[in-house]
Amino acid sequence: MSSLLDKINFTKPRWQVFSRVLAAVFGGYALATAASLFIAQLLIYIIEKNQAIHISIMLTFLIYAGTAIWVFSVTSARQAWVGLLKFNVILLASTWLLMQFTDVTS
Amino acid sequence: MKDTFRQSMKWFHTWVGLVVGWVLFFMFITGSAGYFYKEITHYMEPERPLINHQLSNSELLDKAQQYMSIHASDVQEWDVFLPSRRDTNLQVGWRHAPKEGESRGKYIKQVLDANTGQQVITRATGGGRSLYRMHYSLHYLETRLSYWIVGFCTMLMLLAVITGVVIHKKIFSDFFTFRAKKGLPGWLDSHNVLSVIALPFHFMITYSGLLFFPFIYMALSVSIQTNEPELNELMDEVYPSSAEVTPANIPAKMQSLSSLYEQTKTIWSDDKLELVEIYAANDINAHIRFSRSVTDITYNPSDEIVFNGVTGERISEPERQYTVSAMIHNGFISLHEGQFSVTIVRWLYFFTGLIGAAMIASGLVLWTTKRKPQQMKKPNGPDFGYRLVEQLNIGTIVGLPIAIASYFYGNRLLPIEMANRAEWEIHLLFISWALLLTYPAYRPKAKAWSEQLHLAAAIFIFMPVLNALTTDKHLGITLSHGDWLYAGFDLTMLAIGLTFAFAGFKFNKSQRNKTSQSKSAKTQRSNIKTTVDNELVLNKENSGAL
Amino acid sequence: MLLLICLSFSAMALFCLAMEKHRQQVTDKALPQFLSQFFKPLAWLLLVITFYISGKLYGWSIGPAVFFGALTAALLPLILLLTYRAKVVPIVAIVLPLVTCANFILG
Repeated sequence: MSSLLDKINFTKPRWQVFSRVLAAVFGGYALATAASLFIAQLLIYIIEKNQAIHISIMLTFLIYAGTAIWVFSVTSARQAWVGLLKFNVILLASTWLLMQFTDVTS
Repeated sequence: MKDTFRQSMKWFHTWVGLVVGWVLFFMFITGSAGYFYKEITHYMEPERPLINHQLSNSELLDKAQQYMSIHASDVQEWDVFLPSRRDTNLQVGWRHAPKEGESRGKYIKQVLDANTGQQVITRATGGGRSLYRMHYSLHYLETRLSYWIVGFCTMLMLLAVITGVVIHKKIFSDFFTFRAKKGLPGWLDSHNVLSVIALPFHFMITYSGLLFFPFIYMALSVSIQTNEPELNELMDEVYPSSAEVTPANIPAKMQSLSSLYEQTKTIWSDDKLELVEIYAANDINAHIRFSRSVTDITYNPSDEIVFNGVTGERISEPERQYTVSAMIHNGFISLHEGQFSVTIVRWLYFFTGLIGAAMIASGLVLWTTKRKPQQMKKPNGPDFGYRLVEQLNIGTIVGLPIAIASYFYGNRLLPIEMANRAEWEIHLLFISWALLLTYPAYRPKAKAWSEQLHLAAAIFIFMPVLNALTTDKHLGITLSHGDWLYAGFDLTMLAIGLTFAFAGFKFNKSQRNKTSQSKSAKTQRSNIKTTVDNELVLNKENSGAL
Repeated sequence: MLLLICLSFSAMALFCLAMEKHRQQVTDKALPQFLSQFFKPLAWLLLVITFYISGKLYGWSIGPAVFFGALTAALLPLILLLTYRAKVVPIVAIVLPLVTCANFILG
């Protein structure tokens, strides 16, 4: 019984790792998606809409990779989650802002 | 994470590599083989006639047209595959109308004897195409699921490449370092060298791999930004296709292919015709497209010439329109697939792919080599994780090539009339791989490595012999006829077998050195013991004598 | 193609000589400081020339890719030679490109 409790003791390092993995995979995906929306909105000023979406999609893979690396380099898993949340909010807010100036269906 | 950024990245690189290393190895090996999929298919259908260099494309086109008018008269999309450097037989293909419940009809491809214009019946086989398809759609699993798994592995590979560069601090000053000693420094240096010498390729192949299904992976983003008609419009831009040709159901006599071919020869200065596609055959709307071999990574409209099939007039607008972003996307895909390559560049792709596979393999072996000393000291034997990794290493790094060889063996040995023959060739591949993955659990690891290395050597070296025994196209014939595709395959098998033989030899040698080292250490210790004992006895006698 | 590989070989060999650590593998002679400072720039120049030839031979979209392939094909034998037969490297690096250049120009 005590060994089971030991296994789900959340202070053990393996839970930190697990938390970071979740952050990198799901939080990172959210961030990559938000980034692609933001980049597409930026690009719409220069090129036409379909190409903007296309290029932003191609770039997000690199952003996703960078995010995953970042998640595993910060000091704690909590920092990773907080950072992801922060960046997601910033990107989404900026995207929404930009969308007010262009006519994009959503 | 860890104390420094580099240490965290080292940990990250190790785990990312370990989680998907074996799947990536599978992808690199099947992918490298895939660069030669046409040549492999050529070998796996030994019934194909040896090529006749005398016939011109015009004659071949007429024979093909005649054949399809008789045998595919109820179908309206015909394809003629002219002999090319990579595929030296005349072939024809058509797609049947879909049956009940099918979205597309079955595609039939047949080899024609260039001399008689009749079909050559070849054995049912997946050929090289199955190997190349396995590379991204992992057999047995549903296609969509495979795309996600492959995408996940590719993403981790991208992370491994990036972090690998980050942690290799001395990447420039240690550029040429290769300490060919056995043990840890040897494996680390191999891993580094293999990674660094082909770094542009590794990065390109990984990133471009992700770009094959970007709209599946980033579906959320796309669905937020577009609704359905907009999405269709986007897809049409990203993957431009030529306009659909629908038959008007008014029969009309088509021009002969050879006369249209004479026209293309005046437009194209070189005669690299590869493919002729006929749409709405024998109909008033007939369109015929002549395509020559691709030489560029971007779409070149002058590689295609389209005619009105009835009047013989050329239709001059370019078949497909590419936007800038579509050109970039397509450029990456072309780089990944290497369809544009001439022979020597194709071989370069193949070798570099194998370098990638070796990079992964050396990384996996490095992991176990590093941990071996402390694992061997554990009271209950090595940990489960360590044993699992070592077993997977043996079964994949040597086992997978053996499994692929057994795919080729199956092609030669399975009865021609067998039902589901093509499927069974592939089953053989996976069955042998499964066996090679599981039996090392029951053998001492060094023995398992040695056995598999020697088995690999034997099975590859014997392949040309098997070919000589089971077909009428042994090396003597294929070389004298100049059938380099066929002979090249036999010779490559031989070369691979010799490489494994060399590896097995080196491995056994290092094992013998290890045991002789420990043996001589033992002998030394027992010699010392005997000397000491003798001295004690002498002393006793001396003291006794006194 | 072979030309590209040989030129890449020499270029990388020059880089190698430019590095103290690797030069010791190759030659026991001490080279004058004055001479050895030219190795790196010369090596870069050779790489650029090889890149240009690749573009001219294969077109500018495929040429760069082929260039990197040639570089890989040259690096592997170079590193193996450095490990097992280091003394041979300077001679090979001079003779090989001369021979293939001559072959290319004449052929």
